[in-house]
Amino acid sequence: MVELGFLDLPSWSQLQPFIATGLALGGVYALSGVGMVVLYQTTGVLNLAFGAVGAMGALIAWELVNNAGMAEGLAYLVCILFGGAITLLYGAFFGAALAGRDPLVKATASLGLLLILLGTMSWIWSDKARSLTLPTSDPAFTVGEIFVNWTQLIALGLGIVVTFGTLAFLRFTNLGTAMRALANDREIAATLGVPVRKVEAQAWLVSGLLAGAAGLLLSNLVGLDAATLTFLVISSLAAALIARLRSLPITFFAALVVGLVTAMSTPWTPVSEYRQMAPFVLAVIALLWISRKREVTIPGASG
Amino acid sequence: MRVNSDWNRLRRVGLLFTAAVAASLLIAACGDDDDDGGSANVSSDQPECGQATGEPASGQPIKIGAIATKQPGTDFSEGPLAAEAYFNCVNDNGGIQGRPIEMVIETEQTDPGQIANAATKLAESEKVLGIFGNFSIIEGAVNHTYYEQNGFNVLCAGIAPEAYSTPNMACVNMGPRYSSDGAVQAVLNQDVDKVVFDQSNVPGTDYIVAGPRAVAEDAGVEFEDFADTPPIQDANSVALKLVQAAGENGGVVLNFTPPEALKILQAAEQQGLADQVKAWGCSTPCNTDFVAEALGTVWDDKLLVNAELNVTDADDEDSQLYRDVLSKYSPDIPLGSFTQMGFVIGQVATEAMQSIEGEITKESVNEAVLNVKNFDTGILCAPWYFGEAPLHIPNNIDWTTTPEGGKMVIKEDCFEISEADPDIAEVRQIEADDPSLIGE
Repeated sequence: MVELGFLDLPSWSQLQPFIATGLALGGVYALSGVGMVVLYQTTGVLNLAFGAVGAMGALIAWELVNNAGMAEGLAYLVCILFGGAITLLYGAFFGAALAGRDPLVKATASLGLLLILLGTMSWIWSDKARSLTLPTSDPAFTVGEIFVNWTQLIALGLGIVVTFGTLAFLRFTNLGTAMRALANDREIAATLGVPVRKVEAQAWLVSGLLAGAAGLLLSNLVGLDAATLTFLVISSLAAALIARLRSLPITFFAALVVGLVTAMSTPWTPVSEYRQMAPFVLAVIALLWISRKREVTIPGASG
Repeated sequence: MRVNSDWNRLRRVGLLFTAAVAASLLIAACGDDDDDGGSANVSSDQPECGQATGEPASGQPIKIGAIATKQPGTDFSEGPLAAEAYFNCVNDNGGIQGRPIEMVIETEQTDPGQIANAATKLAESEKVLGIFGNFSIIEGAVNHTYYEQNGFNVLCAGIAPEAYSTPNMACVNMGPRYSSDGAVQAVLNQDVDKVVFDQSNVPGTDYIVAGPRAVAEDAGVEFEDFADTPPIQDANSVALKLVQAAGENGGVVLNFTPPEALKILQAAEQQGLADQVKAWGCSTPCNTDFVAEALGTVWDDKLLVNAELNVTDADDEDSQLYRDVLSKYSPDIPLGSFTQMGFVIGQVATEAMQSIEGEITKESVNEAVLNVKNFDTGILCAPWYFGEAPLHIPNNIDWTTTPEGGKMVIKEDCFEISEADPDIAEVRQIEADDPSLIGE
């Protein structure tokens, strides 16, 4: 330890291994954050059930591998497809009814889905310990003094691919253009002939597939536990909020920062206990910074 | 019109997905999640419990109450259900003075008001004669004064300090502090030069860590402790932190629920950290085949787990009866530490009530339980007792287990939890003052 008065800073060599864990988690947070931002921009729904969808997909995969004897690869595919299916179903049945409602109402409705999924998981899978170890987690290598496994690398790589792939998709494809049109103005886009429900359905589907993939990776990087995976959405949400639910690149970099700050504060004893607050703190700092030049208007207070 | 066409197509796709989701859930719900004990050795004969008359009991039931935590993530209700299974076996074997035992189980969600109401309801509405089989996180802290004021001597398996430090509660387990003492002792036996202790950041961490710290310092070994808030969301970082703190000649001891401990152990395994310290230890919650099954073979003979109770497939008579009773009377609940504890509570309560010669009343039942001493069972290392004492830690001699081929096996035979923990020293003095408690 490097002693700096009341600071008890860890040395660089102590911090290095935490970079790999932070980047891996950041990659998955980016994956989730992008899924949330795309869905929000297209449908106006902040899907708080994102983590629960991934958690349930991962538990189904565990069940299929361990008790139904399904091949691992196929079970993992079911996990991802389950995410897409359940999210698409929710969007298909409730999306239209909620279309004209306030964003807060839409977000609260997704909280309902979260609670249903969480309750179902508690009902089917007890609180017994279980694990889902991806085959990519065993072979590990070192980069300098940093120990890395392939799952961590895939998590970060997928975060990069999904973020910048989605950016390209939105820019260069017809569906992407339609999604951007919905993001700008839903009513005008509909008037101009954009198939609103079809575009929304595809946004729900893509977002759900990302939820399934994130659940699968997090069940390996963090642990296969319904509550943990369900509420990890908070870190992704913080990244999305830092990007004001608009910018995918900012969501990506914010997610990496959230992952890195959380991980690298772990060996720093004075703050280690409070590291789970990092997503909130970063989001608050970012939002205060963004709004620093805005004028606050209080109705009726003028003059 | 295009919207309608899209909508119809969407509905068809939706129906297909509904079928797929329903199929997935069906497969999951039909899964065999909890039957870890399914392959254990079970006798086909009618189990012999209590008086072993083979005649069913009849008449007015003897009501027994229990309170168990049951909430998402924490379900202790298997404990009292195992006690109930034993009582049902007793009822098929003559009951108590020919009368059957009836179990009333209240579940709670760690709400102090609800827990206090549950005790009041059992005592005043249900008019139970005894409270045998409380399995709760905070129940002891909430209700121990009520029990003292109302003459209940409670048989429990608890977590709260009050379950071990009060005159009217005696648990068949030893709780997180003393179990952590045992895990630290097992790690110290590996000649480590430092012990790093990590536990759930929940109320009572200072009380728990005082024991392991005293044990390590008594051995002249450096001690450092951490607390991580569950659910752990960065297990990789936590594992790294612990290994860095322990150093290559150090040992790491965990005190978490099985899912949380598993996260840390798996993170350590995946980062190649398992061999970067000299020893790993864990308190009793890790002593379950679920953990052994979920862990890789890298932990076989490496993870040292304190075990307050024998392994579930032990071949002593009591363990055989335990498996037979659960198989016949409660086949849906799994073999494991919680059901072992419930079973032992059922045995203790039955033996106590059988000793009553006069009328079975609340007073006679609770006096009989208070008088239990030298209760011998193969499920515990040493005889169990209640007795009049300011504190009760009758389970203070343990095993050490380790994973092996997906099961927990005995690594170290019964050993005494260290008297370096002042609470244990006090209990040993009580046993020395009245050796009949443990049959000496």
